[in-house]
Order: sequence, then C-alpha cells, then structure tokens
Amino acid sequence: MANLIFYVMAALTVAAALGVVVARNPMMSILALLGSFFALATIYLLAGFQTLAALQILVYAGAILVLFLFVIMLLNLADVGPLERIDLALFHERKTVWTLAVAGALLGLGAFVALGAPPAAAASEAALPKGGIDGLQGLADEMFSRYLLPFELISVLLLATAVAVVVLAKRQRGGAR
Amino acid sequence: MTVPASHILLLAALLFAIGVAGFFLRRNVIVVLMCIELMLNAANLTFLAASRMHTLANGGRPDLQGPIFAIFVIVVAAVEAAVGLALVIALYRNKQTVSLDDVADLKN
Repeated sequence: MANLIFYVMAALTVAAALGVVVARNPMMSILALLGSFFALATIYLLAGFQTLAALQILVYAGAILVLFLFVIMLLNLADVGPLERIDLALFHERKTVWTLAVAGALLGLGAFVALGAPPAAAASEAALPKGGIDGLQGLADEMFSRYLLPFELISVLLLATAVAVVVLAKRQRGGAR
Repeated sequence: MTVPASHILLLAALLFAIGVAGFFLRRNVIVVLMCIELMLNAANLTFLAASRMHTLANGGRPDLQGPIFAIFVIVVAAVEAAVGLALVIALYRNKQTVSLDDVADLKN
C-alpha cells in the first residue's frame, strides 16, 4: 500500500514539475510548484522523515512560495498575459534542442548512478527506527554539537540576506526612478 | 514502504533534469527562479534517499547527516529566493520587464 502511494506521489511530483516548466501564466507555475512540494512532502513522510516533511510544508510551501506569490501580485504579472510563446514551434530553435539534450544527458547520468545503488535498501519497514529517521531529539543533538559551526554560519548568512534584501528593494532616496 | 533506494534517486534525477530544462528554456525571471527551487528540491530528495539507505544498512541506527544537510539546503533556498526576488523587483523598477531577453546588457 505504502509503495503504491509512493509511486502515485512520484508521478504527481513529476507531472507538477513539468507543469511548472510549461505553464504560460506564472500564477499557474506557482500552483504547480505547490502541488509538487506537497507530493514531495508525502514522499518524505513515507520514507521516514517526519520533521523534514513538516519543514518542507512550513518553509517551502508556507514561506518561500508566498514570497513568490507576493512578487507576482506586487508586479501585477498575473494579467500581463503570456510573456512568451510556449508551443511546438519552440522545437525549431537550436537552443531548445541543446537544452533538452543536456537535460537528457543529466538524467541519463542520474539514472546510471541511481540504478547502481546497492539493492540492500529494499529492506522492510521494521528495520527503520521507531520515531522516524529524523526524530527531533536526535536531530537537535547532532545539530548543536557536531554541526554547531555550520549552524552559526547559516544564521550569519540569514542576517546578511535580510540586510541585503532591504538594501536591494529599498527605493532610492531622492532618485527619480 | 519498501521502495528500493534506486527508485527514489531516479525520481530525484528526473526532477533535477526537469528543473535544468526549465531553467534554460524559460524567459520569465520568476519562473526561472522556480526552476532553481525544483533543482534544490531534487538535491534534498537525494540527501534523504542516501540517509535512508545508510540507516537501513546500519540496521536502524539513524543516519542524520542527510536530514541536517537537507535543512541547510532549505535555508539556502530561502535565502536564494529572497535575494532573487529582491533583484526581480529592482529590475522591474528600473526596466519595467521581467523577461530575460530584455536584460542582455552584459552580452558580447
């Protein structure tokens, strides 16, 4: 049963990701991305990562996507109409063919590596720890002992980003722009 | 769930390839940023698949490197989205466009 849900969600994730790429309206892209994030969160949950599934929904769907939504609303892009043509005529361009070739090559490389993974992982559910792999306590123990320095560095990165975004988005004082 | 790790990794590779294709094909800056988010998600999925694989190989002792790096990737994704969207706003204010074709000042 869980396997079936995994494959359904995997198909949903890929379909939604394709929707992000081919949607004409950026608003539709955002909705497709939202669907892809939720399907991925389900996959995390099935694989035994409860905390990461919650974070995926809270941070990705709750914060990052809303940021995208804000910008689209702010710039009034939703009713500008399609900014670009997306149809079969795209395939006459050389750039499209090259892009698809590169993406296909990457996919082939990924598949080659993936299929070489040891098949031992097909073990049963019982082999996994009870409270999921990323129980909050174990995660916090590791985060604040072994990974304390990266944790502090990433806090500094967040602070720097907050300052940078304020500076970037601020209207220049006195400028006629 | 008894899905082999290779299928999860395959899904991640597929997501990454779709993200790459969208990144180069689309002209709208905001959609390009969304494709970057797709690629970061694929990286996250890879981390978690590897973590699950090692946990199973260790007989149930949790391998926490994967989840912790996934958390760092999520933070970096948030940072990237914030800076990218601030740049989009600055671009729109100066040029009234979000199309990458109109922003080729550095070309040639």
